[in-house]
Amino acid sequence: MVKHLRKAAGAALLMSAAALWAVAHAADGKTVGPNGEAPTPAETFRLTADEETKIKAGKHTAALVWHEMSEYTSAVNRGARDEFERLGISVVAETDAGFDAARQKADVETVLAKQPSIIVSLPVDPATAKTVYDPALAAGVKLAFVDNAPAGYAHGRDYAAIVSDDLFQMGAKAAAAMADALGKKGKIGFIFHDADFYVTNQRDNAFKAAISQDYPDMQIVAEAGMADPARSEEIAQGLLTQAPDLDGIYVTWAEPALSVLAALRAAGNSHTKIVTLDLNEPAALDMVKGGNVAALIADEAYVIGVTAARTAAGALVGKEAPAFLVVDSLAVTKDNLAEGWKQSLGKAPPSTLTEAAQ
Amino acid sequence: MMVEARAAPPALERLRRIDLQQWVVYLGFLLIFLFFAITLHDSGFLTARNLSNIVLQTAPATVMAVGLVFVLSAGEIDLSFGSIVAVSALAAAVVMQSYPMPLGVLAGLGAGLAIGFVNGWLVAYGRLPSFLVTLATLGLFAGIARSMTELRSIPVQDPLFTGIFGSGALWGVPSLLIWTVLVVLVGHLLFRETRFGAHVAATGDNPRAALVSGIPIKRIRLAVLTISGFCAGLAGLLYAGRLQAAKYTLGETDLMTVIAAVIVGGTALNGGKGSMIGALVGSLLMGMLNNGLILMGLSVSDQMIVRGLIILGAVAVSLRDPSR
Repeated sequence: MVKHLRKAAGAALLMSAAALWAVAHAADGKTVGPNGEAPTPAETFRLTADEETKIKAGKHTAALVWHEMSEYTSAVNRGARDEFERLGISVVAETDAGFDAARQKADVETVLAKQPSIIVSLPVDPATAKTVYDPALAAGVKLAFVDNAPAGYAHGRDYAAIVSDDLFQMGAKAAAAMADALGKKGKIGFIFHDADFYVTNQRDNAFKAAISQDYPDMQIVAEAGMADPARSEEIAQGLLTQAPDLDGIYVTWAEPALSVLAALRAAGNSHTKIVTLDLNEPAALDMVKGGNVAALIADEAYVIGVTAARTAAGALVGKEAPAFLVVDSLAVTKDNLAEGWKQSLGKAPPSTLTEAAQ
Repeated sequence: MMVEARAAPPALERLRRIDLQQWVVYLGFLLIFLFFAITLHDSGFLTARNLSNIVLQTAPATVMAVGLVFVLSAGEIDLSFGSIVAVSALAAAVVMQSYPMPLGVLAGLGAGLAIGFVNGWLVAYGRLPSFLVTLATLGLFAGIARSMTELRSIPVQDPLFTGIFGSGALWGVPSLLIWTVLVVLVGHLLFRETRFGAHVAATGDNPRAALVSGIPIKRIRLAVLTISGFCAGLAGLLYAGRLQAAKYTLGETDLMTVIAAVIVGGTALNGGKGSMIGALVGSLLMGMLNNGLILMGLSVSDQMIVRGLIILGAVAVSLRDPSR
């Protein structure tokens, strides 16, 4: 009997996970939250002067519990820190789990020793993150999440909001940038993230969907999945061997795109254009110098941090935020590099880029 | 200066030789503990909750460290234990989805034992260097862990399992603490008080001499790597119990931490010498460092820099070889 119950519970869990997955991947041209939440533009969430005064008077503290540290995370981190500072909330701890759920659990336990009023975090593994954040909930900490929330958590009751990119928009903008670079026709290689990771999965799927729906003269003729960014050069070489006449390659994010770039350079190929996501200095340098990189699709990572911090601070004074807030994204090309960089990361581009652009 | 040092009176010389190296981990632990206790006295470092967190968080690493002490003392190395952790945790989680809990435990421990045995067999009877064998199996089993569940994480819901291996307690003592003490104690007794332990150290110290004096060095090599696999399997169960889930990333980041803990704890990287208690304290030291540096409010980059410097300092004192 017990065995059957256990089996049934397991099956139910698998089914609900599959359902969740299906919702998260509904590629109907709109980014939806991990639980199917409708998106709300991040800039619409504001605190009143009254609420801000109340928050400032509370002498609150916050901890930032990240999944890993990258250029993206540090822009989010900077946004969150700036917003907390503006609201008189001091940041008492910052952690990096190195993509390890067990370490993230330890990190949450550790920062709780400082009794923060707020934790802003990006869960490494949403499916099992409940055990990670439960101690914080039990301690009465206000939570706000970036990109994803633990399965089983309810908006409002357990966390203030999820703040994320407009992932579908990013994928679609990548497709548009590819079309611009290729004159709306050509053969495309598609390097996607071969892992169960909501953010990259949605962006990759959106690119693919947009190409097939909106650009009849552009075809994805070769695909390769990448699980380990360190191996992306081999993957790119494989792709180029398989289809040497590619006009463009979509790469799931900028770091592996550098390896693709290396493979193209090694082959003496200056024809194939690369479109990828997230800002990255070497990739941008190649772009301003007129190399293979045609466009970098960037989200407003800084604004993600600002907004997540703001929703959690709002929760301290009882202000409810929409469940799923999304920030804008933009295609950064040679022509709008300086503005794009500032808009995305909240700081000026490195001098190497501005000098190379002149 | 050199001349002066050499001419030091015998008593001072003896004092200097009281193997500072052997005590550095305890001294370092104490110093760092005192430092955090003073600087973080108002940041919750000294609360019972925080201190117990440190011990419980390091439980899986400590269990892995015990296995590694055997391996290093025997003059071998195991780089694969991180991926054994993942395979074992996943094996247990997958089996428990359709079968009773004890079978899941058996699957997890069995996977660890089996992979350790394969490592050991290849090293001992295949006459291959353990560095290369375990480097290869590290990749091999990391790949298997990824493909086992297609990168999905598998929930572990059996309350008895999560109690025994994760968040439970027996007479108020957390189960992870019980596992830590039990494994270190068994490891210590096996290493210090049995003929097997003496054989392990002798094999690592000088394999030729060990062979000549009749020590079955092949069996010893097979045994130490099997023990390491078993310990990694148990660590996998502890992670799965604590997180109530298993994922291919478990154990991935532990390799360097565990090696550092064991070395700082006084186990020789090139064999012949090992300390279980040292490894335990080394592991706690690593955990305490992570904890204290976070509580100091340092940014992630600063935490990494300070941690690196402290480990370098500890290794410099514990491993400095005056003859080089």
